[in-house]
Amino acid sequence: MRRSLTLAALVVLGIPSLAFAADGSLIGPYSVLVAGFAMAFAAGLCALGQGRAVASAVDAMARQPGAAARIQTAMIIGLALIESLAIYVLVVAMILLFVQPIK
Amino acid sequence: MDVIEHPPIFRLPGIPDHVTYTWLAMIILAGLAFVASRNVALVPRGVQNFMEVVLEQFQQMIDDVIGHEGRRYLPLIATLGLFILVANLLGLVPGMNGPTTNLNTNAACALVVFAAYHWIGVRKQGAVTYLQHFMGPVPLALKPLMFVIEIISHLARPLSLTLRLFGNMFGGHILLAIIFFLMGLQGLIGWALSGSGIGAVVGGIGGAVMIAFTVGFLYPLKILVSFLQAFIFVMLSMLYISGAIEEAEHHGGEHQPAHH
Repeated sequence: MRRSLTLAALVVLGIPSLAFAADGSLIGPYSVLVAGFAMAFAAGLCALGQGRAVASAVDAMARQPGAAARIQTAMIIGLALIESLAIYVLVVAMILLFVQPIK
Repeated sequence: MDVIEHPPIFRLPGIPDHVTYTWLAMIILAGLAFVASRNVALVPRGVQNFMEVVLEQFQQMIDDVIGHEGRRYLPLIATLGLFILVANLLGLVPGMNGPTTNLNTNAACALVVFAAYHWIGVRKQGAVTYLQHFMGPVPLALKPLMFVIEIISHLARPLSLTLRLFGNMFGGHILLAIIFFLMGLQGLIGWALSGSGIGAVVGGIGGAVMIAFTVGFLYPLKILVSFLQAFIFVMLSMLYISGAIEEAEHHGGEHQPAHH
């Protein structure tokens, strides 16, 4: 299983060099791959973190319905702060895709 | 990339699009304020009633976060919130451009917040006391290190305010553009119209699903995100202002030995 996953990853990483080797520079095709993978990792880990935060906030709201409004405000602020880390990755990915500072 | 950067319908020559639509947002807000305050009545009706409800919500948030003394910052915070909300929603109107999808508009808003909360802190506590707080409740030898770290963390605040709003808005627009234009209109509908038999069936059904998904799910989601991002921007600004005001109390305990 692990060996086939490694093989799949190698194939994916090797495709740009096969497809675009004639052009010379490999940074453009690889930056597209990297942007996609970076966003995938960031979204997954951000979802894990946000899920933990929301789970404990909902737990707290169920225990203390009177404090629900305050907990909800704190939860939304916390979610924004967690989400901003994924947004940084999104900005980096967009810079790689659109601005292309390194060619 | 032409599909993703669909240009707005109305453009002024020689002026960037985000500036044009910032002016449009300003005109909308100023017109709303003018209509609301033209005939101020004791029992509000119509637009005045609506604006009063909106501003009372802002006042309620300020009371919750900053406290009662925060009401004097209502003009700053409500203006920022309403402008960002209108700018976010302008980007969702077909044929228009959202000013907040450009980094410059967001940076301007964030720098206003940055300057304002430092100015409020200096005014409330005096420059020396305010700067002393940057060193935190740590032993004397660690104070220069804390100072540098605090400066960096304060400089990161406008950066994160800017990038959060920009990333959410621009990312959402790219998502809309890809799913609606690239996959829906150009991809699947284009396939359906290309003349092939299987394309007419699969492309027609797929394109209809894409467009229904965009209109039924992504658009409401984007409206929700617009409100949420305006709320978060305003809420973080209020937190920064309340931090700048409340630091006086922490400062009193700073001279005691740090035993915890």
